Amino acid sequence: MDDKSPLTEGVYYILLSLYEPRHGYGIMQFVSELSRGRVELGPGTIYGAIKTLVKRKWIVAVDEDGRKKEYVITDAGKQMVVSEMNRLYELHTNGLLITKGEDAL
Amino acid sequence: MKKVKFRFYLDHEKEEKWINEMAGSGWHLKKFTLGRFTFEKGEPGTCIYRNEFISGMSNDEKKDYFEFLKDSGITIVHELGGWVYMKKDAADGPFEIYTDTESKISYYKRMLNMFLFLFVLNAWLGFMNISVFGNHTKIEFLNSAIGIFNVAAALLIAVPTIKIIRRKRELNGKRQFFE
Repeated sequence: MDDKSPLTEGVYYILLSLYEPRHGYGIMQFVSELSRGRVELGPGTIYGAIKTLVKRKWIVAVDEDGRKKEYVITDAGKQMVVSEMNRLYELHTNGLLITKGEDAL
Repeated sequence: MKKVKFRFYLDHEKEEKWINEMAGSGWHLKKFTLGRFTFEKGEPGTCIYRNEFISGMSNDEKKDYFEFLKDSGITIVHELGGWVYMKKDAADGPFEIYTDTESKISYYKRMLNMFLFLFVLNAWLGFMNISVFGNHTKIEFLNSAIGIFNVAAALLIAVPTIKIIRRKRELNGKRQFFE
């Protein structure tokens, strides 16, 4: 997985959810609401993703408030979200272009 | 009311399915050791049970992970020998630990690393112990007995290992088209 690879749906949504500091369960609930129940992330998936994202410095742990550890996105993480949005935009526009013709744009 | 059942599964996913069938009929898992499961009578189908292989995690990592699970509304049922059973209220909706192909594959990889190591270790010990067996002294007889035990262990480990390799391969194939 290099930095140019598409993000998985889960990682993309986890990064989005961390524009506000959240803990693991908060991420799970936010992603579920945001996708209207389509993306339900399991605890193993979120836990593994958090560890990898921290290692890549796309997110950081914020000062612990009590027992639950909260995380927030970094500038590097925000950059990843933007480039993923650009990629998704390209996919989406090209899809419209081919299936609906140029009028769609 | 308690009930003890003896079952030996070489497939952790089939075992988990059985544990959930038991819960469906009101028998909730309380404890497990190798092949021995203790259940307690309760409401049928109130919880979803999942097992996970957590061997290889350091104590700190495990503590951190268990905290995380508890924060997510999950209860740890019992932990033994690198395996953990956990449960979540069925009313909370579906419960899977790994929900995408990527993380499922890395879970299988983690399992395979340990299983392959145990397989090679036992196969090698088995070979060494049996090949020592030559002129029927007491110690060499003991060696060969241990050797046979090692070989049997290696064969038992081989079964789930092959299953996991197959499942991982299937997921890798799927990943070429789908996330």
